[in-house]
Amino acid sequence: MDNSALIYPPTEAKYNANTYRLSMDLVQEINAQILELAVHAMLERCPYAKVSLHKGFFWYYLSPNHKNPVLHEEGSYPSARISFKDNNGYLFKVLYGKHRIALECFHALTDGSGALVYLKMIVSEYCRLADIAEVTFSGSLNLDRRPEREEFSDPFQHFYDKTLPGTPSTGSAYHRKGTGSYDDRVKVISAMVDAQSLRDRCREHGYTITVYLSSILAMVLQQFQKEEVPKQKRRKPIKLSVPMNLRNIFHIDTMRNFTLFAVPGIEPALGHYTFEEILKKMHLDMALSQDPKLIRSQIKRNVGGERHILMRFAPTALKNPLFKLLSDSLGDDLYSAVLSNLGYVKVPQELESSVSRMDFYLCPGRMNKVSLAVVGFKDKVVINFSSFFNADTALEREFCRFLVQDGISVEVSTNRQEENKE
Amino acid sequence: MAYCIKCGVRLEERAQQCPLCQTPVVLPPGMERGHSEPLFPHPLPEAGTGGVNKTSKGIIELILALLVVSEISIALTMWFSGNMAHSFIPLFSTAMAALVIAMALLAKHTYVWQSTIHIVLVSAYLLALDAMDKHLCWSLIVVGALALLWVFAVFTTTKGAKAHPVWTAILLIASLLGYVALINWVVAGALTWFVPVALPSAGVLFLGVGLFFLLFLTRNKTRIPLADLVFFNLIVLFLTFTTLDLFMTHYRQGIWRLNWSVSLLSAAVVLMILLGGVSASRRLRRYFTSQHRHD
Repeated sequence: MDNSALIYPPTEAKYNANTYRLSMDLVQEINAQILELAVHAMLERCPYAKVSLHKGFFWYYLSPNHKNPVLHEEGSYPSARISFKDNNGYLFKVLYGKHRIALECFHALTDGSGALVYLKMIVSEYCRLADIAEVTFSGSLNLDRRPEREEFSDPFQHFYDKTLPGTPSTGSAYHRKGTGSYDDRVKVISAMVDAQSLRDRCREHGYTITVYLSSILAMVLQQFQKEEVPKQKRRKPIKLSVPMNLRNIFHIDTMRNFTLFAVPGIEPALGHYTFEEILKKMHLDMALSQDPKLIRSQIKRNVGGERHILMRFAPTALKNPLFKLLSDSLGDDLYSAVLSNLGYVKVPQELESSVSRMDFYLCPGRMNKVSLAVVGFKDKVVINFSSFFNADTALEREFCRFLVQDGISVEVSTNRQEENKE
Repeated sequence: MAYCIKCGVRLEERAQQCPLCQTPVVLPPGMERGHSEPLFPHPLPEAGTGGVNKTSKGIIELILALLVVSEISIALTMWFSGNMAHSFIPLFSTAMAALVIAMALLAKHTYVWQSTIHIVLVSAYLLALDAMDKHLCWSLIVVGALALLWVFAVFTTTKGAKAHPVWTAILLIASLLGYVALINWVVAGALTWFVPVALPSAGVLFLGVGLFFLLFLTRNKTRIPLADLVFFNLIVLFLTFTTLDLFMTHYRQGIWRLNWSVSLLSAAVVLMILLGGVSASRRLRRYFTSQHRHD
C-alpha cells in the first residue's frame, strides 16, 4: 500500500468511512450486464485495482483478488462505509441506477484523480459495448495497452529524502458545532452552477475557482464562529483541507494515492476578514502549498513516520488503536472543513449529448460534519455538500446564498426527506 | 421552474420546499408541480447504521491489545516462578482493570451510569476473589455495603427517586434493614439476632423518626427550632437504645428487663426535662438560640 493509504484501513469506522464517490449520469438507460463487462475490462487493464485488503501482522496489505466484482444497485445516499465482505473484498464499489454509473472508492485504493480514471475507463468501455459511442476520455488509460510500471508506483517513496526536515504540524482549527442531531446517513445538497458564469466571476476577482469557493467557505465559517464565539481573542483559525493532485506537480501518472493537502486559512482572532482579504490569503496559502520543496518536506514527514523503527516493528494490533486515537489530532482536528475540487472533466464530443450529469461526493467526518466536493463537466460545475446533520443546512444555505448574491445562478437538489427538515 | 424567495436558488421541479431554508414552494392556482428525477432513487433509511465510532473502536482495541500483552506477561512470569496455581488473582485483576478503564472511557459519562457500572464491576471483582475457595464470606458484607452505597448515593439522585420520595424513603429503610440482616446471616449463618433484637430496635427508630417527621410536617411554621430538633432526636435515640437493651437482654438471658440503658435513661430524663423546657418556653429558647444574641 502507498504511504498515504496506510492510515485509511485502521481508521475506518462509523462516521469515518474513508470513501468518496464519482458518478456519471447518461441519457440512456444503464444495462447492468454490459456494465459488468465494462468493469471486468477495466480490471483486466488495471491489475492494481483487482485487489483485496488484508490485515498483516505489521501492516495492512493488498493482495490480488480473484473473485468477480459485485455490481450494486443505486441506494439512497453516497459515500457510505464499504462492506468489503459484501463486495467480494474489492476496495471499490460499482453502482448503477436507471441512468447512472457510480464508482465508490475506499481511499486505500487510490485518490479522487485515480478513481476518475477508473470511472472514465468504465464509462468509455460501457459506451462502446452498449453501442452508444466509441470514445476515449482525455486523461484516461487505453484499455488495449498493458499497464505501465509507473501506474503501480508509490511516488511518495520515490520522493522521500531523509535529509530534509519534516514540515512542523500546526495547531487545531475551528470546528463548527452545528445544531440538532446527526447520524451516519450522508445527507446531500447538490448545487449546480453555470460553469461559464462561475469562471467569469472568478476572473473578475482574479483568482481560480478553487480559491474562490474555498474563500466562500472560509467566509461562511468565519460568520458561524463569530456567532458561536463572541470574544475575538478566543476564536480559532479557520483552515480548510484542499487536496492537491501531485501528479500535476511532479508529472507522475501513478494510479495509487498521490495527493497531499493544502491547508489555506484565516486567523479570525486577528480580526474580521473581508471577502477580498480572504481571497488574497487563500490564494497565497494555496500557492505556497504547491511549492515542490514544501511538498517534499511534507512527504519526508509522512514517509518518515512510516519508516520509523517503532512503526515498522510494532504489530498491527497495537498500531491500529493508536492510529484511530491519534488520527483526529493529527488530521481532522487541524482543519475546519474539506473542499475537494476534482477539476473539469472533459466529456468527449461524441458523448456530450449522452452525459447529463456528473457528481463527486466526499464522506463527511465526525469532527467536520460537512464536506464539499466540486467537479465540472460540460457547461456545469457541481458543488456537492455531504453532511451528517439531520436538519442543519445552515452552512449549505449561506454558501449558496453567497453565490447567488455574487451573481451566479444556483440550482439545488437534495436527498433529504421532507420530514427531516425543520 | 421554482425559485426560493429567500435564498434565490433554483429548485427542482418536484421540490415542495427549499432544501436550504425549508421555505415551502407555493405554486400559482391551477399550476401543477413538475416531475424530475430525484437525486437518489430511494428515500433515506429511517435511521443511521449501527457500529462504533473511530475513537471508541480505538479505545477498545488499545485496551484489548494491552490486556492480551499483560495477561501473557503475567502468565509467563507466574509459570517460570512456579506459581501458576496462584495466577488467578493477577490475571483476573488485570482483566477487571481493563474492563473498568474501558467502561470509564466508553460508557455514558453521567454520574449515575458511571457510578452504577463501577459499583457493579467492583462488586463482581470482590465476589470472584472471595469465591476462589468456593465459599463466599467477607465479600458479601462488602458487596452489601456497596449496594447500600448505591441506594443512598446514586439512586437518590435519579429522577425516579426524586419523583417518588415516599417510595424512595421506604426503599432506603428496607435496604438498611436488608444490610443488617445480611451481616447477621453472613456472620452467624442464619438470622439469629436480627429478628429478635435488630428488627424491633430499628422499628422503634424508624417509627420515632417517622412520627416526628409527620409532626414537623403538620406544623404551620416553616422553620424548625434547633432545640426542637435536638430534643426530638434525643427522644428517638433514647427510646431506640432502651428498646435495644430490652430486646438484647431478652435475647441473651430470656427475661424482659432493662440492663445498661437504665443509667442512660436517668441521664436522658434530666436532659429531656431541660430540653423540654427550652422547647416549650419561647423565652428560654430565645435565650439559647442565636436569635437572642442578634437581638
